[in-house]
Amino acid sequence: MEVHANGVAVTVRMICLDLVLLLSGACGRPAGARTAVVVPPQDTSAAFAGSMNAVRRARPGRRPAILRAVRVAPHAAYDRVVFEFAGDSAPGYEVEYADRPIRRCGSGDTVSLMGTGYLVVRFEPAQMHDERGNPTVARREWTPRLRAANEIKLVCDFEGQVEWVLGLPARRRYRVLETAAPARVIIDLRHEP
Amino acid sequence: MTGELRMGGGSTAAFVATLAGIASGCRAPSVSTEPCPQPGVARFAGVDSIASPYDSAFAAAGAEFGVPASLLKAIAWVETRWQMVQGAEEFPGREPAFGVMALRGAALERGAELAGVPLERARRDPVSNIRAAAALLDAYATETRVDRSRPEQWGTLAARFSGIELPEGRTAYTREVYRALGPRAGPSAAAAPASCPKPPPVFGGAPDYSPAVWRASPNFNQRPADSTGVTHVVIIHTCESNYTSCWSWLLNPASQVSAHYLVSEDGGEISQLVLERDRAWHIAALYDCALNHEHDCWLEGVQSNDFTVGIEHAGFASQDSFPTSQLQASAALVCDVTRDRGIPRDWQHILAHGQLQPRNRIDPGPHWPWVAYVHQVQARCGEVVVDDSAQFNDPAFAVAAIPAAWPATAATPDYYGGGYRWVATLPDATDGAVFSFRLDAAGPRAVDARWTSGANRSPRAAYAVIGAAGDTLAIVRQDQTTGGGRWHALGTWAFPAGWSRVVLLRRDAAGLVVVADAVRVRQQ
Repeated sequence: MEVHANGVAVTVRMICLDLVLLLSGACGRPAGARTAVVVPPQDTSAAFAGSMNAVRRARPGRRPAILRAVRVAPHAAYDRVVFEFAGDSAPGYEVEYADRPIRRCGSGDTVSLMGTGYLVVRFEPAQMHDERGNPTVARREWTPRLRAANEIKLVCDFEGQVEWVLGLPARRRYRVLETAAPARVIIDLRHEP
Repeated sequence: MTGELRMGGGSTAAFVATLAGIASGCRAPSVSTEPCPQPGVARFAGVDSIASPYDSAFAAAGAEFGVPASLLKAIAWVETRWQMVQGAEEFPGREPAFGVMALRGAALERGAELAGVPLERARRDPVSNIRAAAALLDAYATETRVDRSRPEQWGTLAARFSGIELPEGRTAYTREVYRALGPRAGPSAAAAPASCPKPPPVFGGAPDYSPAVWRASPNFNQRPADSTGVTHVVIIHTCESNYTSCWSWLLNPASQVSAHYLVSEDGGEISQLVLERDRAWHIAALYDCALNHEHDCWLEGVQSNDFTVGIEHAGFASQDSFPTSQLQASAALVCDVTRDRGIPRDWQHILAHGQLQPRNRIDPGPHWPWVAYVHQVQARCGEVVVDDSAQFNDPAFAVAAIPAAWPATAATPDYYGGGYRWVATLPDATDGAVFSFRLDAAGPRAVDARWTSGANRSPRAAYAVIGAAGDTLAIVRQDQTTGGGRWHALGTWAFPAGWSRVVLLRRDAAGLVVVADAVRVRQQ
């Protein structure tokens, strides 16, 4: 599905409107002044179709991006999960449904989640701690109990990979959007199958 | 040369010299009665031995504020590797860092004011940034009345400059600055022409590897008590960060990750984080023997942390190369671990994280020099292996000549290297598989052979041991129907200098198979 130039502009406004609820002052500048990147091209309308397929974007060879905020919020037809990074560009990512069990990357311990849909979101190169070994995002798991985004847990911050897993009542179609300045990777989970 | 055999200490020392050729810079590969020596690291000569893009700025700012230019250069090296950084706020409460000197927050403001430059210039302009840092260090020196001619006193100012609160972190930072200054380079000839900083104190005393620094991580648990918990694989990682950042994170209980060891970028320091007997948290994958040449398939599905030792390396899997000194220090460590744990030094037991977890890991990356690295580990432990394939041999010390009629295969697992050669026996055969090894000086060596076993193998495979002068020292028979994948002692002989060899003979009653996999020669 192609996204045209005006499609990008629509995306920018929509993301700003959505985020303004979450982030005060996030949309201080006019939308047109911002360079938004939507990858891969997807339906950006509020009633998007989405997909169950894996979404991958590789960005090797960079310094790890610092993940500094993770937010989950409900919208009319979907739940939105926002991963925000320090700096201007997001790292590479892989988003895909995974089978149980989900394991922590260091210990190999299994991670329990409610529901039957496990959407793994992996960033690379990325980290969620600073040079002194302090976490840059305090909350590592919580239970939003939204219609789609039931639960969210960090399962990895090691060797340049940060991995979160979202627990859904069942697998739902989703889309991945991306913005720059500040860099965000946004995952919208449809409420309806 | 009389061909007379020299025995004892002299020959041992000569063999050591031979091995040092493999692990160059390795001064004293130890024999099995001693622990591996501290890594024989070629010490970094100091930042003054390399040109930076900002040398004139370091010199000018140093002269202006009475701060050693070398110190400015060393701090900049430790902070940013001489990159102009434009920081972003990483998390609430920690201000972004700017410039070559990574100045941030109140320190940046104060330095800019002292240097008389606008804040924005101190952030964006390298010369102003370096001047601001020099002005700040000058102020610290004045406040604390340090003797500017004494380099060691600058170390505490550097620690203050770092902004690190944790005492352990400050100590580590100071040590990094001293390391950057180099063994002889004092903090500037101008400030301290006569006295030079002592090399950083040798930290050590880690429980399982005494040259290492002990930094105990809380992120571990117990290995299984049964056979699945027996340590017998070493996993090589890259941490995707610098040394200090890596250990800082692995020590944090929030990280839920760890490794047994971490080797710094230049190999000058190793941290031990978890006892070898305990289960560190460095690999998520369950063991899949298909990823390891069908080795130890009875461990299929066992969590890989249960039976492995994890060794992290500061650096990145995307690196084009790894510093020689880091590889040497790592090889010395792995020699020690494998000797203490009885782990074979081969291709099924020293593995990449990415090999066992290919789904989402590639570390230590495509440029880790596996063959040379394993040779270094072996050399540190006083052994040389001759494989049937040249690909796994260092031709200066090990050469195999296998007749073309002997087929190559990897059908039966637990071979050394990438496979093995075999041939059907013949009563009147005159050919054999020749494994040659070179000694620089005469001396006694134990010789072992390895094969893959099977019911069709010869129960009396004949190995001829032949000295460099061509004299047959012994013919030893081995039962190849059992014992595959392990080393079997053929015996110990006094070998002269030069190329001696072990020949697996084809001659035997018809209807059997002999397997030529590898020969190992080791100091005792």
